[in-house]
Amino acid sequence: MNKLAERYPEEIQAILAKYPPEHKRSAVMPLLYLAQREGGYVSKHDIADIAEICGITTSEVASLIGFYTLYHDEPAGKIRIQVCNDLPCALRGADDFLKELCDALGIQPGETTPDGLITVEAVMCLAACDKAPMFQTQTGEGLQYHENMTVEKTLALIESWREKEAAQ
Amino acid sequence: MTREVTLTIDGKQVTVPAGTVIVDAARKAGIDIPVFCYHPKMEPVGMCRMCLVEVGRPMRDRATGEPILEEDGSPKIQFGPKLETACTVPVSEGMVVVGLSEKVQAARKDILEFLLTSHPLDCPICDKGGECPLQDLTMAYGPSESRFIYDEKMHLEKHVPLGDLIYLDRERCIQCARCIRFQDEIAGDAVLEFYHRGRHTDVITNSEPGFDSYWSGNTTDICPVGALTTADFRFGARPWELKNAASICTHCPVGCNLTYNTRREAKSGGNVVIKRAMPRQNEEVNELWICDKGRFAYHFAESEERLTQPLVRKNGELTPVDWDEALTLIASQFRNAGERLLTLVGGRLPNEDLFNLKQLTEGLGGKVALHTYMGGGEYVVRHGLSAGSNLGDLGAGDTVMVIASDLEEEAPLWYLRLKQAAERGAKLIVANPRPTKLERYAGEVVRYTYGQELSIFDDLKAKVAGATNLVIFFGSEGLGLAGSKALAAACADLFVSSGHENTKPNNGLVGVWPAANTQGAWELGFTAGADLGAASLLYIVAADPVSDDTAAAEAIQNADFTVVQDLFLSETAALADVVLPAQAQVEREGTFVSGERRLQRFYPIVTAPGQTRPDFDIAAAIGEKLDIELKGRFPSLVFPQICAQVPAFAGLTYQKLAEVHPQWPLVDRSDRYYGGTSYGNQQGLGVHLQAAEAREIPAAPTAPALPEAEIIAVPVTTLYDHGRMVAASPVLQPRLRKPFIRLHPADAQKLKTTDGMTVGLAVDGGPVAPVLVIEDPAVPQGFALVARSMGVPIHQPATFEIRIAETSMA
Repeated sequence: MNKLAERYPEEIQAILAKYPPEHKRSAVMPLLYLAQREGGYVSKHDIADIAEICGITTSEVASLIGFYTLYHDEPAGKIRIQVCNDLPCALRGADDFLKELCDALGIQPGETTPDGLITVEAVMCLAACDKAPMFQTQTGEGLQYHENMTVEKTLALIESWREKEAAQ
Repeated sequence: MTREVTLTIDGKQVTVPAGTVIVDAARKAGIDIPVFCYHPKMEPVGMCRMCLVEVGRPMRDRATGEPILEEDGSPKIQFGPKLETACTVPVSEGMVVVGLSEKVQAARKDILEFLLTSHPLDCPICDKGGECPLQDLTMAYGPSESRFIYDEKMHLEKHVPLGDLIYLDRERCIQCARCIRFQDEIAGDAVLEFYHRGRHTDVITNSEPGFDSYWSGNTTDICPVGALTTADFRFGARPWELKNAASICTHCPVGCNLTYNTRREAKSGGNVVIKRAMPRQNEEVNELWICDKGRFAYHFAESEERLTQPLVRKNGELTPVDWDEALTLIASQFRNAGERLLTLVGGRLPNEDLFNLKQLTEGLGGKVALHTYMGGGEYVVRHGLSAGSNLGDLGAGDTVMVIASDLEEEAPLWYLRLKQAAERGAKLIVANPRPTKLERYAGEVVRYTYGQELSIFDDLKAKVAGATNLVIFFGSEGLGLAGSKALAAACADLFVSSGHENTKPNNGLVGVWPAANTQGAWELGFTAGADLGAASLLYIVAADPVSDDTAAAEAIQNADFTVVQDLFLSETAALADVVLPAQAQVEREGTFVSGERRLQRFYPIVTAPGQTRPDFDIAAAIGEKLDIELKGRFPSLVFPQICAQVPAFAGLTYQKLAEVHPQWPLVDRSDRYYGGTSYGNQQGLGVHLQAAEAREIPAAPTAPALPEAEIIAVPVTTLYDHGRMVAASPVLQPRLRKPFIRLHPADAQKLKTTDGMTVGLAVDGGPVAPVLVIEDPAVPQGFALVARSMGVPIHQPATFEIRIAETSMA
């Protein structure tokens, strides 16, 4: 039973159409994005489904999730706040920013707020050192940069997301 | 002929074929360049950086292309600005490689320092300690001190079961990817992968069950550190306590060369026990690999359930007696036996035993027969492989055909060898009623219906036409004795009519037999298909016909006198009048003939339990009582008699079987270049039996018709069956599958069963046994697959009955 194929029949056909039929394995990356679009992570079942669609082993699929930081195999908040705290960002206060943001939310880096909306993560270089403290958000819709941030601005942003979430 | 290239390595001139990488060229010249990730059987990746060397190449004038010379007339060499990895750089003409410079020594030291930053250095409790490339190379090239702070080492999980058979110690791993590459490139099971990256890189498996591969044990051999260990050997012994003894695997007809590591230990009552089974290099048979069955299933010999003394039925009960009493009783019954005597033997008996049993029986006027569910030996005796054959030589222009066999399940090493032959360019034709793993590598896949094997031969004839060399593997998928014999006849006809002769190397038939020495039995003139019911005196040796065929029990009960000689009190032995305890293959010496007709010798590994005796010796002892002179005591006394009587063995001696010649890659244990744990071959590579004189092909038997039924049960073979020789291994227990009936979903529906359900199965009116229903769309409709040796007696296509109520009540 390939549940992923049942859930996204057209999307999967569109993805597979981009690659030669004898190189179906090339479709694994877009399929991983597709799988985590809704839940924000790739489940064990999704891994098996993708492996079946691409004709590769589940270990090979899992390995890609491990290698790329934007694929996740554990559930987390709906919005992932990924704060860069590499050296140049840290010199511009990213470390303090991360700590204060986490304190304000009452969580540790890597954890999720009790309402399940926000996960804060420390990540490696996002190529925006001059605009630190900065972070990107990862949601089902994609990625968005937020540069020259302060804790206040971030908390206000989070509040707006919460209201939007409550409205839905 | 490949082009030869001459280069200089550390001042030594070396000439090697073009395309050779520097580490191999150095090794051929006797120079060690240390490696971790490089393995001569796999594609180089240059990951570990241990093999860095200085590489210089002759300079050429850019304008004229002429070599630039030094003042003394020698070519001017330009060295690169950086060191290069000797495992990825192919040699070129005039190249100069320097591995002894300070620059290189410093690089090696640095690499080792890096590799050790997070390595726990727990060598004193590590299974690999003592045979560990990381340990050895650190001693040879590494820094004696680290500049990194010990307390800052990463500490990771130390006991991660990747599956039931293999454990991973994450902090010992140096991320060389040998295990991952082995599984992907060589085994074709990409079930290991890296996860995360940088310092967090881990080896993971995501398969279900974990590390789902029949080849997993090999990764522990090639692991250059103690990261991968087997459930069997971990914490079992220190490598320097182990003695090694050469053997041949007894589980299938490939005849993989093994080294058993033994130790005399207090916890085993001061006995010498086998601690592990390791591959022994034979590039013409198993290269450096063995399957997990060969590695882990050796435990049957040490089972508590072994027979250790002769038993004689007294007042209905099998009662222990001494040898003389048992032998005297047998002699009194067998005297003047004549045609009433039938000796039935199993294919796991060595040649010496088969020979003595045949001499004894024929001396008494009786008949011998081989117990096997697969026939056709008479065709392989005439058209089997002969001297010079090596599946490793098959390549472009050659054709290999596999019919009615799931090779990885039946004779795993042949699966590897044929996969490689296909990768080298040989045409691989796989014909089977359902998909098998080998098909992934096949050039041509032929699908037929069970029972219709012979109908595809016209088609196959066209497919094998024009092959330079032709090797045909045939098996017994879905076939009984008569069906497989008819298939063998058709294969022989195809082989001959397509213009091939087995006197030429790499041309011939190979039977995928059920046992290690089935081929030997055919060579010695045994035939199959004896009617047990026709004899009143039965002598059954190393065979358990009752477990395969319900009719056998009746025959034994009707016989006047039955002697069973075996390792265990089998279902057959339980019905006998006299039961004789035999020795296991690891307890004595002898020879086997592999399916490729390679005669190989094995040696005694451990002492035999109780009063057990080797089968050839028991036969000789019975002979002595009946004035038939046979050689007991030593197989080396029997072997010359075989060579004198059987033309295929003519001129062979034990000494010839023990001959070796240098093999590539060089894997001696002190070898830093190989960087794995493996055993070279000092005890013999074996010799092919001679091609038979051209003889007529026996007339092809008619193929038996399938039974009439809507769905027919057909026998298939699985690697981990429930035979005593597998099931007795505690390590393999969790990998044993439940007995099953595998059905197409539509057929399952017809039978009102569903996937995962346990039902009662009775084949051909036999006893009802519980089996698991597996729905599998790959099974052809109208057929139900039932595995042999898994508790349901099935020896040929048969009708069956499913009972749902009975088991749900139980």
